[in-house]
Amino acid sequence: MHPEPTSLLQGTLDLLILKSLIAGEMHGLGISRRIQQITGGTFVVKPGSLFPALHGMEEEGWISSLWGESENNRRAKYYRLTKAGRKQLEVETERWGRITWAIAQALEAS
Amino acid sequence: MKRCLKARSFLRNLFLSRSVDADLDQEVQAHLELLTEEHIRGGMPAHEAQRAARIELGGIEQVKEQVREVRIGDWLGSAFCDWRYGVRQLRKNLGATAVMVFTLALAIGATTTIFSVVYGVLLRPLPYTDANQIMSVFEVSSEGHCARLADPNFDDFRGQNHSFQAIAKYHDNIASVSGASQPTRTTVAGVSPDFLKVFGVQPILGRDFSASDAKKGAGPTVLVSYGYWKQYLGSPDLSQAHLKIDGAVYSVIGVLPARFHFPPDVELWLPADLGGENSSRTSHNYNAVGRLREGVTVEQANQDISAIARRIHDTSSEQGDYLLKDGIVIPLQESITGKARQALLVLLGAVGFLLLVACANVANLLLAQASVRERELAIRSALGAGRRRLIRQFLTEAFLLSLTGGGLGVLGALGGVEGLVALAPGNLPRLDSVSISIPVLVFAFLLSTAVAVGLGAFTAARATSGDPRKGLVEGGRGQAGAQGSQRVGRVLVAAQIAITLVLVVGAGLLGRSLMKVLEVNPGFRVDKVVTMDVSLPWVEDPRAKAGQGIFFANLMDRLKQIPGVRKVGAASGLPMVEGGLPDGMFLLMTQNEVPKTMDGFGALFEQKERIGNADFCVATDGYFQVLGIPLIRGRIFDERDGPSALHVAVISESLARDRWPNQDAIGHTIEFGNMDGDLRLLTIVGIVGDTHEYGLDAPPRPTVYVNLFQRPRSAITVTMLNDADTGLVTSAARGILQDLNPEIPAKFGTFSQVYSASLGSRRFNVILVGFFGITALLLATAGVFGVMAYSVSRRTREIGVRVALGADRGDVLRMILGQGLRTIFIGVAIGIAGSLALTRAVESLLFGVTPTDPLTFGGVTLLLVGAALLACFIPARRATKVDPMVALRHE
Repeated sequence: MHPEPTSLLQGTLDLLILKSLIAGEMHGLGISRRIQQITGGTFVVKPGSLFPALHGMEEEGWISSLWGESENNRRAKYYRLTKAGRKQLEVETERWGRITWAIAQALEAS
Repeated sequence: MKRCLKARSFLRNLFLSRSVDADLDQEVQAHLELLTEEHIRGGMPAHEAQRAARIELGGIEQVKEQVREVRIGDWLGSAFCDWRYGVRQLRKNLGATAVMVFTLALAIGATTTIFSVVYGVLLRPLPYTDANQIMSVFEVSSEGHCARLADPNFDDFRGQNHSFQAIAKYHDNIASVSGASQPTRTTVAGVSPDFLKVFGVQPILGRDFSASDAKKGAGPTVLVSYGYWKQYLGSPDLSQAHLKIDGAVYSVIGVLPARFHFPPDVELWLPADLGGENSSRTSHNYNAVGRLREGVTVEQANQDISAIARRIHDTSSEQGDYLLKDGIVIPLQESITGKARQALLVLLGAVGFLLLVACANVANLLLAQASVRERELAIRSALGAGRRRLIRQFLTEAFLLSLTGGGLGVLGALGGVEGLVALAPGNLPRLDSVSISIPVLVFAFLLSTAVAVGLGAFTAARATSGDPRKGLVEGGRGQAGAQGSQRVGRVLVAAQIAITLVLVVGAGLLGRSLMKVLEVNPGFRVDKVVTMDVSLPWVEDPRAKAGQGIFFANLMDRLKQIPGVRKVGAASGLPMVEGGLPDGMFLLMTQNEVPKTMDGFGALFEQKERIGNADFCVATDGYFQVLGIPLIRGRIFDERDGPSALHVAVISESLARDRWPNQDAIGHTIEFGNMDGDLRLLTIVGIVGDTHEYGLDAPPRPTVYVNLFQRPRSAITVTMLNDADTGLVTSAARGILQDLNPEIPAKFGTFSQVYSASLGSRRFNVILVGFFGITALLLATAGVFGVMAYSVSRRTREIGVRVALGADRGDVLRMILGQGLRTIFIGVAIGIAGSLALTRAVESLLFGVTPTDPLTFGGVTLLLVGAALLACFIPARRATKVDPMVALRHE
């Protein structure tokens, strides 16, 4: 019923969430819009993928959450990076760099 | 740190699931509102913004469910949920649940019971160290049967083999034992010195035999069982312990461990051949066991022994039918359980069939429930339940059912095993190791699990295969998937009928065999005969032997005076008693032809026209009267036949017919001295009826009867034909024997016990397979009834429409019955084909019927079709009573 995201995409989503949270704490919709913005509209994260990822990452201890007020005085749940999350971002960034480099190498080879 | 965090999440998800869920709900709601707000800011009207937000979000419940699935410990929480929900489901249909649990309990219980016997008898290792290295060693006779070993052959096996670290011979017999607290008739084994080494057993008290204990003329020594020591000796000091066994005094040198019982029933072990070995290579007196050397396979040992045996065969001077042809090595466990193996495997197969029939019934019930639940499933999947989650729900329910059923089944099996052991024939080996042991429990658990997985996967596959939306659309009418699931239901019922037919045909064949066996005239009277085994110490001196004859004559004279006792006789062995009579070759010859030397006899045995083969029975004239063995011609023994008169013999009808065709056997003389060492010729004076000595299902053996008072022996079975109470006769006879000699033990019984024990294993198989067959028949009938009743209730509207359009009752009845009949006939056809293929497996258990006995096949088919039709008829009749007005308003 729900196609399983490949591990690459799953990793990518986590990376994007971590990256977008580096700017400061944000609620779910904010994260989603931020990702859309920083990827130039390439990634549109649906709630069906976003929320499981957020909750999974929270249980991993990479992000933490708290209830707060939105800019329009609406209650919303905000997420922020934890120390472990920053470390994870470094790890993921480094890993991603390796992957893109490797794939670029592969594509350049004739 | 991280692990701690995860543990906290796990506990929170598990125990604060409500607040975690509420939090999630709020979060998703807030998200929705934020989205709406965003759209409104983008210039959308409020209601459209709300709609757009919802579409973008996807299903609220689906999103929440997806989040739940990634949570730590989700599986546990949802398993608990499934479990609770399953229990609620099962309790909602309490009647159906009870039927399913009971059916499974019955089937799993029966299977576990039979498995416990199969395990205990066939699979459980013998209770010795490295028991799989212990082998039985046999000679192979010229006819290809396993035979016991002759002394010189055993010595060659022992001396020349390279495969065994220890090899020993043994034989057992019943002896009179006195000198302990009470005289007893005890089974004693004569063994060669390495006997205990083969089993890896040490005496717990005293010492094992040494080589010098077994030398010819050594001082007699004996090892005693733990049970015998406890009961009759008791003192740990063995230095003064002596037993008088068949007249000779033995020093007790050791006590064996309590768990050691080999050969079965033996209490005392003595060194064999204290009087010297028998030098003949054709006197087969000993069984043999050996322990393989490390790393030697059964196959290698077999080749080794076989080569030695064939060398003996080729070089021995004693050529002829009684000389071994080959040798064979068989694992001891296999040789002990050999005969029981096939019958037990047949029983296991039969109970497996019963299990299949029972599972089909439960599957059908679950299927009926699942199609009612289609609406529920549709709603659940609309609320975000994934297909995996639904399948897990079904598996959970199936597990609940079959583990409950399995648990109850095991409780039932505890009683079942007890009953089975009580019912089992006495000749089933290793019965004492049958119990509900750990491996049996593991088996029951695995079986229940397999049943659960099978049933769960089946219903889940059926229930989740369709499009859930159809469930919502059609579900309201209760028609969804009806066609599909009913077809599956009919396939199940056809399979049930087929399996049941195979099972009932099997039961029928075994039952007909038992009846055929009972029709056989045994050739002797069975009821009202009290038996009394008496054995005096074994003696060789002819004068002492004659004295024993006089003792028996006195005993029988006194027994005749017991009130109610009409006739008294005695024989060396009764028909159908395990062990049977010894058999051997006799020579036809006249007094003039008797050779002067023993070598002369050897030459006569070469002359085919002189030799005959028969069982040798020592009897009194009264024996024939007590057992009602008819005199056909000539006479039975009488007063003329004293010890010094001409020795006479009476022979059985088949022997007379086969050995003296076209002439009268009476008056001929034979030499049968190799049976009792008395070389005087026997003159045939009478011919008596044949008896089925080896069971009703075995052909009568040719038999030569000699007179106990001319050929006395030390152990006899006295038979008393009585009208009085068995207990009274027994106690009177015991008193008389006490009076004559208080040192002589006796064992009492009735001949009908012996007779019914001889039918024991056959009856055991019939009862069990019959029980399984009847149970399967009931289950299959219930299955047919269930499927038909369900189908009729599902088709009520359709039938109503048909009746409204003018179909009469006959049409409706024909339609429903026709539908049922198709299923039944397909099942029966498959069943008959299956039976034809499978009954061959029971061929060796049959008697007087062929595996394809048309009467059994026909009868069983009729029975099954009749029962199934009856099960169809009731729902079909209900269908004819459908009132179109009611039916069309139905639902």
